[in-house]
Amino acid sequence: MDATGVAARAADLWKVYGSGEAQVVALRGVNVELERGHFTAIMGPSGSGKSTLMHCLAGLDSVTRGQVYIGDTQVTGLGDRGLTKLRRDKVGFVFQQFNLLPTLTAAENILLPLSIAGRKPDQQWYDTVIDTVNLRDRLGHRPTQLSGGQQQRVACARALVARPEVVFADEPTGNLDSRSGAEVLSFLARSVREYGQTIVMVTHDPNAASHADRVIFLADGQIVDEMRDPTAEAVLDRLKGLDTPAAAVPPVGSER
Amino acid sequence: MLRASLRGLLSRKLRLTLAVVAIVLGTGFLSGAFVLTDTLGARFSKLFESINQNVAVQITPTDESTEDGEPPRLTQQQVERLRVDGAAAVQGDVSAEGVVPFDMRDGDPVTTSGTPQIGGGVTGDDPFSLVGVAEGRWPTRAGEVAISRFTAEQAHAAVGDRLKIYLPRVNEAREFSLVGVVTYSGDRDSLAGETLVLFQEAEAQQIFYGRTGVYSGAFVAADEGVSPEQLRDRVAPLLPAEFEAMTGEEANEEQANAVNEGLSQLSTYFFGPFAIVAVLVGIFLIFNTFNIVVAQRARELALMRAMGASWTQVAGSVLVEAVLVGVVGATLGLLAGIGLGYAGSALLTGLLGVDLPGAGLTVGVLPVVLAYTVGILVTVFSAFVPAVKASSVPPLAAMREVARPDKPLRTLSIVGAALAVPGVALVGLGLTGVGDLTLPALLLGVGMVFLGVALLSPLLTRPLAGLIGRLVGWGTSGKLGVRNALRNPRRTAVTAAALMIGVTLVSAASVVGASFKTTIDQEVNSSIGADVIVQTNQTQAAPTGETGFSAAAMQEVREVSGVERALSLFVTVDAEIEGRANQSLGFGALDQDFPVVRDMFGMTPVEGDLSALGEGEFVTDENTADGRGWEVGDQVAIALSKGGERQYRLVGTFESTPILTGTVFLPPSAVQNFAGPLASQGYVDLAEGADAAAVTARVEQIMSDFPLVTVGDRSSLVEQFNSFVDIALAIVVVLLGLAILVALLGILNTLLLSIYERTRELGMLRAVGLSRFGVMRMVGTESVVMAVFGCLLGIAVGVGLGAALSAALIDIDFLSTISVPWLSLAGFVLLAALAGVAAALWPAWRAARLNVLDAIAYE
Repeated sequence: MDATGVAARAADLWKVYGSGEAQVVALRGVNVELERGHFTAIMGPSGSGKSTLMHCLAGLDSVTRGQVYIGDTQVTGLGDRGLTKLRRDKVGFVFQQFNLLPTLTAAENILLPLSIAGRKPDQQWYDTVIDTVNLRDRLGHRPTQLSGGQQQRVACARALVARPEVVFADEPTGNLDSRSGAEVLSFLARSVREYGQTIVMVTHDPNAASHADRVIFLADGQIVDEMRDPTAEAVLDRLKGLDTPAAAVPPVGSER
Repeated sequence: MLRASLRGLLSRKLRLTLAVVAIVLGTGFLSGAFVLTDTLGARFSKLFESINQNVAVQITPTDESTEDGEPPRLTQQQVERLRVDGAAAVQGDVSAEGVVPFDMRDGDPVTTSGTPQIGGGVTGDDPFSLVGVAEGRWPTRAGEVAISRFTAEQAHAAVGDRLKIYLPRVNEAREFSLVGVVTYSGDRDSLAGETLVLFQEAEAQQIFYGRTGVYSGAFVAADEGVSPEQLRDRVAPLLPAEFEAMTGEEANEEQANAVNEGLSQLSTYFFGPFAIVAVLVGIFLIFNTFNIVVAQRARELALMRAMGASWTQVAGSVLVEAVLVGVVGATLGLLAGIGLGYAGSALLTGLLGVDLPGAGLTVGVLPVVLAYTVGILVTVFSAFVPAVKASSVPPLAAMREVARPDKPLRTLSIVGAALAVPGVALVGLGLTGVGDLTLPALLLGVGMVFLGVALLSPLLTRPLAGLIGRLVGWGTSGKLGVRNALRNPRRTAVTAAALMIGVTLVSAASVVGASFKTTIDQEVNSSIGADVIVQTNQTQAAPTGETGFSAAAMQEVREVSGVERALSLFVTVDAEIEGRANQSLGFGALDQDFPVVRDMFGMTPVEGDLSALGEGEFVTDENTADGRGWEVGDQVAIALSKGGERQYRLVGTFESTPILTGTVFLPPSAVQNFAGPLASQGYVDLAEGADAAAVTARVEQIMSDFPLVTVGDRSSLVEQFNSFVDIALAIVVVLLGLAILVALLGILNTLLLSIYERTRELGMLRAVGLSRFGVMRMVGTESVVMAVFGCLLGIAVGVGLGAALSAALIDIDFLSTISVPWLSLAGFVLLAALAGVAAALWPAWRAARLNVLDAIAYE
């Protein structure tokens, strides 16, 4: 893997919901590059478009204008078949909740993407992932028999086991107590540092963001700032500025 | 949030629509039966009115006078005496049924499908102007006939032809000169698809009654200003004691009543099972629907509870919904029933070639009342348990997601076993026939077994449906589908149970039918010693000796070279035993010595003497003797169609076999007391080395003058027996189709709910790379597992039931073997699987179209 390359990028990305009076512009010409082997957090107040940005980057939502690439693949313009293939081969997801199939055991859930794609798991990598998330003694359990933190770790393992180009995590700690949340985050951070995984995470929690290598701040559909090697305090300070109405802080303009 | 609840409401409406469909089907068939009966009845009434047009008074023999033997006749003078003051015209009635013309083209008898084949005597123009000459002239001397235009078309005959006609009573075919073609008033070819042959009156009297100058009744037309009632009262005193007079209107009513009775039986037996199956299956569907609706509304109901609604109010709100569904369903069902009745009336008359006059649509009060009563009761009944369940939603459920785990299946399973086990015992009891409770015990037992298995089915879901899943769950999406099917055993079981009902019925019927066919095949080939078999197709009614072939014809067969022995069997069911009307026995008389009969039928003597059957003696099979409590040597009073009651002595019994059961053999002389002198079956034994084909051809030729008589080998006898089974099975298969249709709706319903509940899961699966097709396969597999599961349960119960019934029939020697039609049963499974696929199409499509983002986004 080329650690200096770009895992995903968006060029002049616009997303508009509705039309006429009810028109809402969620993203206004966002340009962003997400480096391979980095842990990037996207932050911003509610309605800033951070979730929309992630959904567009992941190919879950269509874009109004602009392009999205994951690796060499242009995501925008792909049909359902192409998107399905993209999800199988290049993307992993971790959601806030409803992450696992209750009918499958933890191990089956972890292997689900590979099973759907009809691929054989790389046993060594599988073992590495299982040990990293520390779930070896829980593999035969069903999701209902696992705690919230354990469930989320299963979801992380599932996202990693197929070695995707990018893992998208949507508020992965939103439903967890702080201890479980910290476990999940440290695990995500380890997978980036030790195994070179690329992770993009949407969160509103400065503590969560502090685990990332880089934080991108979004407001009113535009990237307003970014921060390298963030700390929770610095992120919180920056957010406080954004939480005041958009008019108070004139848009800085997105970096080019 | 609003969008979600709107969507919930919409999908609920959809789901209720499915419940409505179940009610529509049930009440539709129910009311359809009545509408059909009434509509056809009205058309028949109109037919009789047109037949009796201008007839003010009709003179017919009284019921009592025709009861015993030869009906009374009116003489010429007695008819002339009816020309009273006020009588415009009087005509003696000379007519008979069973007058069959032969087709000029192929020489085959012209047959109708149930409508009479009438012969009549005429003296010139019809004073009632019902029929008139359209071509040629009336017959004026012996050897001449006129026929209706419809008959001419059927027989491909034209004026000037020599037409062969089979004559009843003299029981032979003769040739006549066709001198005229007649039509009914209004230029109609026929009244209702009957054939009509008119002879010169004296010849008709000679043929039908055996002498000239007599009539079977009379018609009187009234002068203007004289009412039918007045005229009836004037002629009544002039009649001999055996005759009565009624007005044309009274006559119409009497005839129409008789027809209506038959019609209502027809539609009851035809539509009844459909209505019952639809309602039964519908109960499951509605039950499931309301369960689902209640589950979806749990939050809303909990909120109501939290705001102080009592549990009765909550349950009531569900029941109100049920009543609404019932009313809407019944209304639509009634409309469907009216359509069905109308279409059925058109279809039936079209199929049978019965050309009845139109009389519009008749909808009585009964179908309306019945449709609403059944519709509402069934819905409320089915929704009752879900309603009670709704009332038990804890108010806390409004505040947060209250985990409501599946209740354990133990109680349910215990109740199921408590029903099924004694049910099996009851079926066993019913089958062994202890006491008079046989039928109730059997029915109750069957019901209990069925309910028991239905209640046990959730327990069976995991092992059995899991096994099915292993067979059909290919690939990851298939396996996911199987897991989904096993996820909620109750729901899967209830859905499957709807299918189980229909399949149980059909499998049971198939087993009995197959056992019957195998038995007949074995028995006929092992016991019947004849090579050529002559049979009469009893298309219209039970045999009485009025259809078949004559003794003279069989005599001719005996003289054919290559025939070793030939035997005629005369059969009637028209008899009274010890003063009570015969219900189930067939009375046979044979024209050969009994030892020949014994050999030909492969009878095994049990008691007494089968070496000869003399005057006043009879033999019967062992079961019949046992069942009636007859001992060899007993005297039994038997009254046949003619000649009054006489004593017969039981001289011997033979072993009962499936084809020799419920039969009493009388001496040859008893035939003269049968209603007619014709034999209905003939058994011909060939000499060693005879040319079977040549003999069969010759016998065919001899029998060709007799309508309805066919000649064939042993297998043709088997086929005739089997044809009854096939007709019954065909009806059963249509029933299956209906049951599957309703069950399909149930599966559809369950799938839609599952998809609704698992929206987020579907989104997640799509996000981790499951393709649209994969989603469709997942849903399809779930559906197929449910369908095949239901089908297998039904087959298990049905085969058990069918085998038990067959065993009971073997006990009474009605069957000799149990045969399970594995191929048909495998066909059912395949059909169920296909139905599963069909039911999944729409839900699967919906699931595949789900927007991934919408699905995973939480409010």
